[in-house]
Amino acid sequence: MSFIYNIESTWLSLKHHAFRSLLAMLGVVLGVAAVVGMLAVSEGAKRESIERIEQQGVDNIIIHSEKPNANETGGENIFFYGVTREDLIHFGTVFDNIKRVVPVVGLRQTVYVDGRPSDIALVGTKPDFMTVTRSENADPRGRWLSDADSAMASMVCVVGVEAARQLFGLADPLGKAVSVYGATFQVIGLMENPLLTKVAGKYDINNMIFVDYETLLSIFNRDFMAVEADYVYVQVDDLDYLKNTADRIRTYLEESHELPDYTISVPYELLLAEQATQRVFTVVMGSIAAISLLVGGIGIMNIMLANIYERTKEIGTLRALGAPRRTILIQFLFEAVALTGLGGVLGVGIGFLIALLIKHTADMPTIVTPGSVIVALTVSVFTGILFGTHPAWKAASLSPIEALRR
Amino acid sequence: MSLIELQGISRVYGSGPTAVHALRPATLQVEEGTFVAIYGASGSGKSTMLNMLGLLDEPTAGSYLLEGRNVANLSDMDRSSIRCRKIGIIFQSFNLFPHFSILENVCMPMRFAGAERHEMKERAAHLLDRVGLGDRLRHSPSQLSGGQCQRVAIARALANNPAVLLGDEPTGNLDEKTGDEIIGIFHELVAEGRTVVMVTHNAEYEKQVQRVIELHDGNVVRQ
Repeated sequence: MSFIYNIESTWLSLKHHAFRSLLAMLGVVLGVAAVVGMLAVSEGAKRESIERIEQQGVDNIIIHSEKPNANETGGENIFFYGVTREDLIHFGTVFDNIKRVVPVVGLRQTVYVDGRPSDIALVGTKPDFMTVTRSENADPRGRWLSDADSAMASMVCVVGVEAARQLFGLADPLGKAVSVYGATFQVIGLMENPLLTKVAGKYDINNMIFVDYETLLSIFNRDFMAVEADYVYVQVDDLDYLKNTADRIRTYLEESHELPDYTISVPYELLLAEQATQRVFTVVMGSIAAISLLVGGIGIMNIMLANIYERTKEIGTLRALGAPRRTILIQFLFEAVALTGLGGVLGVGIGFLIALLIKHTADMPTIVTPGSVIVALTVSVFTGILFGTHPAWKAASLSPIEALRR
Repeated sequence: MSLIELQGISRVYGSGPTAVHALRPATLQVEEGTFVAIYGASGSGKSTMLNMLGLLDEPTAGSYLLEGRNVANLSDMDRSSIRCRKIGIIFQSFNLFPHFSILENVCMPMRFAGAERHEMKERAAHLLDRVGLGDRLRHSPSQLSGGQCQRVAIARALANNPAVLLGDEPTGNLDEKTGDEIIGIFHELVAEGRTVVMVTHNAEYEKQVQRVIELHDGNVVRQ
């Protein structure tokens, strides 16, 4: 019996019972649509969170200075807190597996350009900031901060592209002056972070003004600065020992700081935790998918059994004309698989629409991956085989005379 | 050698005291090229005998030789293959497939025999032309009269050029005139050397066939 005959016969059967076939398919359609839609949401959320974590650099440990609360200080109001320069020196000289130590400290003062105030943050950092945040020089005529600037305490700054747009509009920022509390820095370069990374996951790098760390601290003494580093990027050499290095930093800080005036975050660990969460989410999704397809499959089986009951005489005639049991089995199995397969295709289409709808109405990132489409289609075909086998076997088991008599 | 030879063939449904002896041990031969009527009242066992001849049912005992080969207890695959290639069956209510064209209906047994697509269509068209429906190949059964449907069923039964044609009350659903036309086609086929075995309870056809096998309560009472 030819494959073409099975297609023709299935098509005619589906066409003849179009509404019934549609109803039978509905379970699979909705099941697959829900799975594709939910996986798209899950994938979108996963990519977004992983990107966010990766932007912070998977080989970084980030230490954040935090002002201890009144409970922690015993009611005493403290002015100075956080990671100190001594800590930074200790990390860079005593600890192994550390490639770079890059502090970032913000000056909480209004900056002025041509006498106009702006709320854009001016931060002090080290030349390696460019590397740890994977930023780039946005203007070939300019440059980034250098060790020489640090040694000579040069009054220069680099502005992020977004900060430049806000401060200088269409004018060329290079050579312009930025003033803050009596100190004036000359713009020597433009920087851009194509990953749109945020410092410590919060502040847009592209919307900052950068000056040399040592220079900033030498100008603005501790009367101005409550902290010596708001954030510290510690980049490690070997990712395998990342956790070990983070643990040693934690132990060191616990011993050297009287108060818990810091937090340590390890993007790589967050990434692993996120991936573990995603795995749980995928298992939950898989279970929901399995249940919805089970319901769809039962619907298919029901319809196939009704079909067989209705077409018993046809089965008898086919047998009388010489069709062996195998042909009947294949024909009905083919119909079941066609129903679920077609249901799967429609479901994937509707799943795409659901993903689009969620993206535009709920403003959530959604991604329909080829993998989820393949899985959905494979599972729907498998559902047809699983739930179509019993009815098909039942049809094939009818003896010709039994079938013709009904 | 006879085309068909039944040796003590019987069919019993159920067992014990409630067993129904639909066909008691019967022995008979049918020669090639004859037109045979199996005659009897309702419940006489004539349909059971036809089912045995068509390999639609298995005998309880006895042997059935078709072209000299015992086909009584073969596997489903072998029985299906013989039904497909050696036997053509015509039903009282035509049993055509309503969703297929009459051309496709006639092609059906050839599909089971594994014929090539163009070969099937060509032969089906030829057979339909022969039964006078050459201009209606694309029609569906619902667009034809009862007599025309039975002609399609005859063409379908002839599709694989079988050794024997079996008719289960083939004129039962037709008016007298149309019934006579169908019998006329059978006569033409017999004249060409084919064997036709037809079940009927209509005594009128006794005169039109070459041989009558009469059954009564499952027993062959005349042959």
